[in-house]
Amino acid sequence: MGITVDVAYKSFNKFGEVLCGDKVEILQTEDSNIMILADGMGSGVKANILATLTSKILGTMFLNGATLEECVETIVDTLPICQVRKVAYSTFSILQVFHSGEAYLVEFDNPGCIYIRDGQLVPIPENIRVIKDKKINEFRFRVKKGDALILMSDGTVHAGVGQLLNFGWLWEDIAAYAQKQYCRTISAARLATAVCEACDELYMYRPGDDTTVACMRIIDSKPVHLMTGPAENKDDDKKMVDEFMSGEDNTKRIVCGGTSATIVSRVLGRPLDVSLDYVDPEIPPMAYMEGIELVTEGVLTLNRVIKLLRRYVEKEVVTDEFFQELDKKNGASMVAKMLIEDCTELHLYVGKAINSAYQNPGLPFDLGIRQNLVEQLRHAVEEMGKPVTVTYY
Amino acid sequence: MRVTICIGSACHLKGSREVISQMQDLVAQNGLSDKVDLNGAFCSGNCVKEGVCVTVDGELYSVKPEETKGFFEKEILGRM
Repeated sequence: MGITVDVAYKSFNKFGEVLCGDKVEILQTEDSNIMILADGMGSGVKANILATLTSKILGTMFLNGATLEECVETIVDTLPICQVRKVAYSTFSILQVFHSGEAYLVEFDNPGCIYIRDGQLVPIPENIRVIKDKKINEFRFRVKKGDALILMSDGTVHAGVGQLLNFGWLWEDIAAYAQKQYCRTISAARLATAVCEACDELYMYRPGDDTTVACMRIIDSKPVHLMTGPAENKDDDKKMVDEFMSGEDNTKRIVCGGTSATIVSRVLGRPLDVSLDYVDPEIPPMAYMEGIELVTEGVLTLNRVIKLLRRYVEKEVVTDEFFQELDKKNGASMVAKMLIEDCTELHLYVGKAINSAYQNPGLPFDLGIRQNLVEQLRHAVEEMGKPVTVTYY
Repeated sequence: MRVTICIGSACHLKGSREVISQMQDLVAQNGLSDKVDLNGAFCSGNCVKEGVCVTVDGELYSVKPEETKGFFEKEILGRM
């Protein structure tokens, strides 16, 4: 059976820094998912450059099938040498999970990966290989559904050093905390956020180091189909709805748009029940239809969805408060929540018809921007590391 | 009596929320909750009109938020 992953990460910058010295890359190859976390020496611009170079080199070379030796050699030869410290240095962890369930973990000088299976910690054995004077730990194993793997930068274990905690937050204690959160949370996003927020608290909201937590959970695939906008040519309505309704049994479906919902209702012969419940004054109420998880208004809702997704992908601002916003029962929050937490791949079915009634300069919002919104939506979801396809009608 | 109020994008911007909350209040104040069935509706393709699309037993009207009370007295109370 094919393995699917849910990946997410969260970073805090060292207090006062604009750039983060940790960098996470999330990539997909044809047969695997890769998550890379690099932590550049120092902080600010230098660290950011080191970490970015390291993660990008690793990512690009791995994607093209290079061996670990080649990758490490390239990094050692490429990283600029710091004028002050006279070394070029960035730690890294690489986690590659193949669709077959095979997994490969490479660690260099980061705190060890936390591996949780069935609520229990799985120890990662020592298997050190020396490449270019660097001691690198390799671990090959098999994942199964439900597993969670957490990569971290050392900002986590340094949390609270000398202040709230004498020696920082010990790895064992972080692991125990992650274990507890593993049972309480469903998505990678919430697990990564929980651990990272705890670090921030231990730092008393002034992190002394860049802190990053990247999480991968092994899950069933969760395809989401989202339809928005009526087809340009009315004759394509049926084709559009048929394709939107196709897919495996576990597919979740969202319709964003009143006219689109009316079309789906007509083609499928299922009644549409429109609510009057304005949960949020700015977002029109939702509607209900059998077999469709979410039915919402179109562009105003999508506009808000994109704002929420952008807040999520621009890591610095994802906090517990964000998840409270996500848990609200308005159309936009519910769509965003599904895309963030309950989706591994997104298929967009987009109609290109222009609603003549929207070409009204008297309206305070430009409603004729659906295709622009769809592009923004696609980018945001791709930035989360999830594949997106778009079909226009 | 079945009354639908459009909550599509265009009508929303023209004040659906205001029309809905006024109508809900008016229906309750006049003790008509059993007789008037308020429903939401999506775009019926009549958004070129100036107000929010409202139907009363299938008949289409265009209602601006400030006209809600007058509309209610004429078209809903008036038919009782």
